[in-house]
Amino acid sequence: MTITEEQVQRPPAEVRYADELAVLRAADDDPRPPGWQLSLRAARRFVVGDEQAGVSRKFVGNVSLVERALVTLATNRGLMLVGEPGSAKSLLSELIAAAVSGSSALTVQGGAATTEDQIKYSWNYALLVSEGPSPRSLVPAPMLRGMAEGRIVRFEEITRCPLEVQDCLLSLLSDRVIAIPELDGPQGMVFARQGFNVIATANTRDRGVNEMSAALKRRFNFETVFPIPDFDTELALVEAEATALLRQSGVEAPPRRDVLEVLVGTFRELRGTAERGERMSTVMSTAEAVSVAHAVGVRGWFLRGEPGSAADVVASLAGTAAKDSPEDLVRLRRFLEQEVPRRKGSQWQALHDARHLLAD
Amino acid sequence: MPHAVDSAVFLGVRHHSPACARLVGRAIETLRPAYVLVEGPADMNGRLYELLLGHRLPVAVFSHYRDEARVATSWTPLCEYSPEWIALREGSACGAEVRFIDLPAWHPAFAERADRNTNRYADAEARYAEATRRLCARFAVDSVDALWDGLFEVTDTGGPDDLDARLDAYFQLVRGDAEADAGDRAREEYMASWVRAAVARAEGRPVLVVTGGFHQPALRALSVPSARWDQDGPPDWPEVPAPPDGALGGSFLVPYSFRQLDAFAGYQSGMPSPRYYQQLWEGGPQAAAQGLLRSVAERLRARRIPVSTADLVAARGLAQGLALLRGHPYETRVDVLDGLAGALISDDLEQPLPWSGRGTLSAGTHPVVVEIVAACAGGTEGRLHPDTPLPPLVHDVAEQLARLGLAGADGPVALDLTDAAGLARSQVLHRLHVLGIPGFTRVSGPSDGADPVFTERWEPGPASGREAALIEAGAYGARLDEAASVVLGERAREAGTEAGALAGLLFDAVLCGVGPLCDELLDTLAAQVGQVSELGPLGEVLTAALGLWRHDRVFGVARGRLLGGVVAGATDRVFWLAEGLHGGPGVDLARLRALAAARDALLHAPDLLPITREAAAEAAARIGRDRRAPADLRGAAFGLRRALGVTDDPAAAVQTLASTATATLGDWLAGLFALAREEITAGATADGEPLIDVLDGLVSAMAEDDFLTGLPALRQAFAFFPPRERERIAERLLQRRGKRGSARSLLRTTADPLLLARARALEENVARVLDRHGLGAVR
Repeated sequence: MTITEEQVQRPPAEVRYADELAVLRAADDDPRPPGWQLSLRAARRFVVGDEQAGVSRKFVGNVSLVERALVTLATNRGLMLVGEPGSAKSLLSELIAAAVSGSSALTVQGGAATTEDQIKYSWNYALLVSEGPSPRSLVPAPMLRGMAEGRIVRFEEITRCPLEVQDCLLSLLSDRVIAIPELDGPQGMVFARQGFNVIATANTRDRGVNEMSAALKRRFNFETVFPIPDFDTELALVEAEATALLRQSGVEAPPRRDVLEVLVGTFRELRGTAERGERMSTVMSTAEAVSVAHAVGVRGWFLRGEPGSAADVVASLAGTAAKDSPEDLVRLRRFLEQEVPRRKGSQWQALHDARHLLAD
Repeated sequence: MPHAVDSAVFLGVRHHSPACARLVGRAIETLRPAYVLVEGPADMNGRLYELLLGHRLPVAVFSHYRDEARVATSWTPLCEYSPEWIALREGSACGAEVRFIDLPAWHPAFAERADRNTNRYADAEARYAEATRRLCARFAVDSVDALWDGLFEVTDTGGPDDLDARLDAYFQLVRGDAEADAGDRAREEYMASWVRAAVARAEGRPVLVVTGGFHQPALRALSVPSARWDQDGPPDWPEVPAPPDGALGGSFLVPYSFRQLDAFAGYQSGMPSPRYYQQLWEGGPQAAAQGLLRSVAERLRARRIPVSTADLVAARGLAQGLALLRGHPYETRVDVLDGLAGALISDDLEQPLPWSGRGTLSAGTHPVVVEIVAACAGGTEGRLHPDTPLPPLVHDVAEQLARLGLAGADGPVALDLTDAAGLARSQVLHRLHVLGIPGFTRVSGPSDGADPVFTERWEPGPASGREAALIEAGAYGARLDEAASVVLGERAREAGTEAGALAGLLFDAVLCGVGPLCDELLDTLAAQVGQVSELGPLGEVLTAALGLWRHDRVFGVARGRLLGGVVAGATDRVFWLAEGLHGGPGVDLARLRALAAARDALLHAPDLLPITREAAAEAAARIGRDRRAPADLRGAAFGLRRALGVTDDPAAAVQTLASTATATLGDWLAGLFALAREEITAGATADGEPLIDVLDGLVSAMAEDDFLTGLPALRQAFAFFPPRERERIAERLLQRRGKRGSARSLLRTTADPLLLARARALEENVARVLDRHGLGAVR
């Protein structure tokens, strides 16, 4: 039984935005780098949006970041996106892969248990035993397929892989060839076709990029993805995402804007972007803000039948902010006790009044 | 129609734009105008020849003003590629009459700008932030500088006419929805009166008007000639407003530098990366891009940051790719910088790349980015022609030194700071010192606010370079106190949030006596103190500032705003840092002193503080309850509440503590006694069972091991009591046991003094051995 698109929880970017990609491809007269499905300019428009052409804005960070990322991919260096968890690195890599290669499916998910097999290739052992090594018994992994087909390969959370596994990318990125010693003749060497490149992501919290070998580092251009710099943009994004999530959860009341303002303001403050600069060790990303806004709306609606209030924000924050360390709880409490009373506005006042909800 | 307004050609420019400078040059060449009118301080008109003496650029017209209510200083910087400079130079060269037509810098029309130390040519973008934000979004660029470069500086389409038309469209667009304030309207009205006068006198020959693009559309509208000319004759040149009676003001030329121009380095500067634009002006976009790449590589290599050839190839490739993607015919500044950052930085960044926005570098900027930005700024420094009249500071200093009898001093100078004349001389010498002017060196004197030294000795030091240093310092202000406060403000921003540096700076400010003059310095210091991250050093700053604020009789800063702001910021910060401080056992006297200083501020300077007594008491209560806060801090928080008049019962708190964590009892008491020794002993009998009795009961009931473990901390805690109070405690203990005798004898040791001496010698020996083996720090 095949499942239809509607049943898929989250279709990949090339499916979600198939219409936009088709429009861009049709109108794309600019030269394309070899192996690319779109020109650089069209790919940029796909990611950062173009109102006149009816292309939505999908990534709200700096435009120049996207431009540098795209140009990097057109050169012989890989692209390394680093940043705090929840800063939309994976989304950006998915969008770029969909724009450049028409598919974001060639993905290696890095982790402590990732092996070279999952990156390059492995064998169908039944066939291997009966037929010996042959192209038929070879099971290509994303890197091999990406090279053979000339497409972008995404390597998520690369720094979570053991260092020796990371280093298997070295020859692959510099020589652009994978040798399969078991196969004879020309089949034993898979050369990368035009269009192949790697987008790796790494977050700065788990195991930073510092441990990566210098040799691998210099095969990548690094781009740091920052939290959304602009308050209004972040507020709009949180509002849109939270509203959609709440609708999915069956909450009929949309989130109150003044409550969201307080929520986003609190997140920005605790992230260390605001003036007081108190930085939590827990991740205070926009994604996290969306999930708190979601929780706030759910609490308000199912407990009281109304939109979430500032008091719900405090109650939900306790779970988010104090997730990793009790120090963060202290920071949050200190913020609520000492900083919030200085802010003007009834919702800030309500936030201050609800500070007792922060359990000890 | 001899007086047609058509004869006026309005050229709207962006200050510090090479493209606009070229346009001005071409306009002068083709129009051969009779008059060239330039946005600049009209009070300089009589002395425009000074500008053309043959200086090495950049130089600036420095204007200063002071009356009872207001102090203002401002710069009008000129570099080789300033459109205003080209208008001046080329205009004079072709025989046109050149005039500055804007109001003088001291005029109230400029007063609405937030900062006193402003750059006349720096304000443009701030006015139409909204319009440029929309444009940036439309063109998908991050900053207005990048937008401008892409639209105007690095282009190959059309000729000068095309550029002119596009500039017109641009400025119409951005002016369209920007609100001109009253100051702008006054300036535009004044500038328009010059244009009308010039058009009338030009008798049909062209008049070229070079102003900021923001003003150009309004000027064009305002400059329509009035119909009365034919009857009344052409209007006179507008009058240059003179400063009101009793006010001091004037303008002088001072040397300027690329570092001062660089928007990344200082706030209120004109533009980012002046060196790049200098190269753009001299050699065009390709040469500028290559020069930028070369200067960055050279600088990084000189700093021993590895830059391989492969890196440079990658950077160049990235830059070219970005230029193609962004539709630039050659790489722009941002393309090159983006390429360099992409190829050279293999780390995650803490701060976004500075050129993706506007403003100064923030703390935590990647070191490679810092070097790149510095390489783009360049180190060019202007020099004035020797015939240039000297800036006012030089005269002010000479006059003050002569008046105070310091001018020809060839021997050491001894000053008594408690004497008004001595203090005045000391302040002048300190201000010179702060400005880095050679001539006098201090050999002794008070080293901080608590130092009870009230005499100073200065020795005449090397005098070479003195004149040059004074002329350069002239850029900071017209008067010595003013200049010193500007420099201190700069140093305050550079000092960051390091408590030691801030304390030194604060004392320098006190010694210079610049306090009441400089709002900006006050604000910066208060803000920086409010960001210090260590409680102990912060406490020292607070103690010193509060001490001087309350008791100073020497420097004249008691109850002054300088220290008031610091006290307020520091007290606030003490509570912020204390709440949430976690740690193990041990008494940290520095942090106890910090809380004690905060207590004193709350008791003696409550009006200064943003935090109320109630809020402070609540914060103290939270610290006291926090189980993971260090015991001494919790005790201190408890003591703070007592000192603030909240009568919690210490006996109860001690009992709870003793039942849960005997080991930290001493630490807790140390904190308590450090903050509220007097309140505790005075109120001891009012709380039911006195604290001493409770403690006596607890200590008597301790097991031997517990007692020995807790003893050092307990001893330390009671060390806060002076001998007389200790004697009283001893008396009380004797009473409790129903015994008689000399309480004082209890305080004397009964051990054999020889034994004590031997124990001490042994301890010292052990310490020496530990030190010798490098284990000293473990102690």
